[in-house]
Amino acid sequence: MATLVNNYSSQLKVDPLNILLIDENVQRAHSITAALDQSRYTISHIASSDTGLLKQVDQFQPDIIVIDIESPDRDMLESLSTISNYNPKPVVMFSSQQDTEMINLSVQSGVSAYVVGDIDPKRVKPILDAAVARFRQFHQLKDELTETKHQLGCRISIDHAKRLLMKSRGLSEDEAFHTMRKTAMDAGQKLEDVAKTIISMLRTLDKGSDHD
Amino acid sequence: MIEPEQTNLNLGFIPLTDSAPLIVAKELGFFSQWGLDVQLQKQNSWATLRDKLHAGVLDAAQMLAPMPIASTLGLGVAPAKVITPLVLSLNGNAITLSESLHQEILTANNIGNVTLPMAAYLLQNVIAKRKSSGLPRLKFATVFPYSCHNYQLLDWLLSANITAQDVDFLIVPPVNMVAFLQNGEIDGCCVGGPWNAKAVRGGIGITVLTSFDIWQDSPEKVLGLLQSWYQKNPNTVLALCAALKQACAWLENVPNRFEAARMLCREEYLNAELDVIAPSLLGSCLTHINMPPRSIASYNQFSVSNSGSINQPELIRGEWLIKQMSNAGQIPLDMTIPIDLIGTIFRPDIYQKMRLLLADQSVQSYYHSG
Repeated sequence: MATLVNNYSSQLKVDPLNILLIDENVQRAHSITAALDQSRYTISHIASSDTGLLKQVDQFQPDIIVIDIESPDRDMLESLSTISNYNPKPVVMFSSQQDTEMINLSVQSGVSAYVVGDIDPKRVKPILDAAVARFRQFHQLKDELTETKHQLGCRISIDHAKRLLMKSRGLSEDEAFHTMRKTAMDAGQKLEDVAKTIISMLRTLDKGSDHD
Repeated sequence: MIEPEQTNLNLGFIPLTDSAPLIVAKELGFFSQWGLDVQLQKQNSWATLRDKLHAGVLDAAQMLAPMPIASTLGLGVAPAKVITPLVLSLNGNAITLSESLHQEILTANNIGNVTLPMAAYLLQNVIAKRKSSGLPRLKFATVFPYSCHNYQLLDWLLSANITAQDVDFLIVPPVNMVAFLQNGEIDGCCVGGPWNAKAVRGGIGITVLTSFDIWQDSPEKVLGLLQSWYQKNPNTVLALCAALKQACAWLENVPNRFEAARMLCREEYLNAELDVIAPSLLGSCLTHINMPPRSIASYNQFSVSNSGSINQPELIRGEWLIKQMSNAGQIPLDMTIPIDLIGTIFRPDIYQKMRLLLADQSVQSYYHSG
């Protein structure tokens, strides 16, 4: 975990990040831009909510989208990563209404959106740092989870195939495993693929013999 | 009468024609009759309405029927147990195509006009023609991933074997839908009122069919609230449901609906013209600037349909919605759905308690008046 955190902080220093800021309040937008001067964040574009927004996202390819939580465009921007082929991007939402700070708690483990309270130019940089780090961490955890699940699935298939071989061929556990490994090496296949083939083949044969 | 535990409520809604029950209950004083002081909180996006409900900033809200299921399963959000004790409306959506796609359909199929409700297969030639000439794919928009709009559009397209391999989908907020159609950012959409009528009145699109033509009488909007809030405030929930049920019953009468349309027009609600809000409420589907409206009696349904009373959240309807979500690929393959899931979300038991309360109240007012 410690190396993970170090990785993030080193990434935080090197990558320049483009921000698409959607804010109707021009004055606030300018002070946010000024506050981010000399940082790794560049406000690539300031847009107001209109029909051109999607084209702008496409054109500017922002790394982060910063938007008012009360904006009607939230549903559209959040869905870009889930229903279309855009890469997932953190959507950082700010809220100038006092009570919506509470939403923070429920959105914390959300997919790609974070509520940060009011976007005070003085606080904007650490807020963005935290959002980017959390977003990356979430996706890394998600990838790790997918990988773990995959490995677990493979082990289950291999065990299953081994048991089927032991039963149908009268092999010992070691013999069954070696047979599978040799087949995999000879055919240049992965062990889990051989296991799946064995399972489906033995099942088909079993069904056939049931009918006989 | 019952005594609500909490009397000041924040009730969220998205400005749409089928928010009528909430607005009518407020305007006609049904909430106050049940001892509730309700603030209607207009919201601009479904995700923000949902997050505010999860966080307790809103006590209850008008939701898209699949949303309580998505919240409970944690789809697109951290899981939160959201229940629905009341169905607020049936139907109400329609598919509108841009005028330029309308013209493309006429040319590609060599026809003078489209027959309504339009069959999706008329799009096949357009899709093929665009593909062979290297033109961009057709783009269709709906309002939220977990919405009947989305599943209805997918269903209609699938009836002509058109899938995500042939066309693109995106989410567009209802308020921007007409502008997106007009600017050519999308070619068609499935959206609720008053936005279809707005596109037709402006000569921007053709409404080719309503959601009633695709799925007859499916729950569209429901009342959503946190299970934990219900446990703390059971009487408040009964009072809230009773007031909304009265509003739905009041909306059953067609002449009343015109009056409802006048309330909905106002700036604090839909902020739109009467001539785009009233038609669907009166059972009229505007189709095209140069074509007559279609009569769809059940375009917006709030209380009763051919199959009887509609406000009870039937478990079978909930099961059916889960199937739609699963068909749309929204339920991860490794997610196990508990067998009694819908029974914990759709709550006909609360609805029945509210019905008894309403019946009791009408008996008492009979004695008082006698």
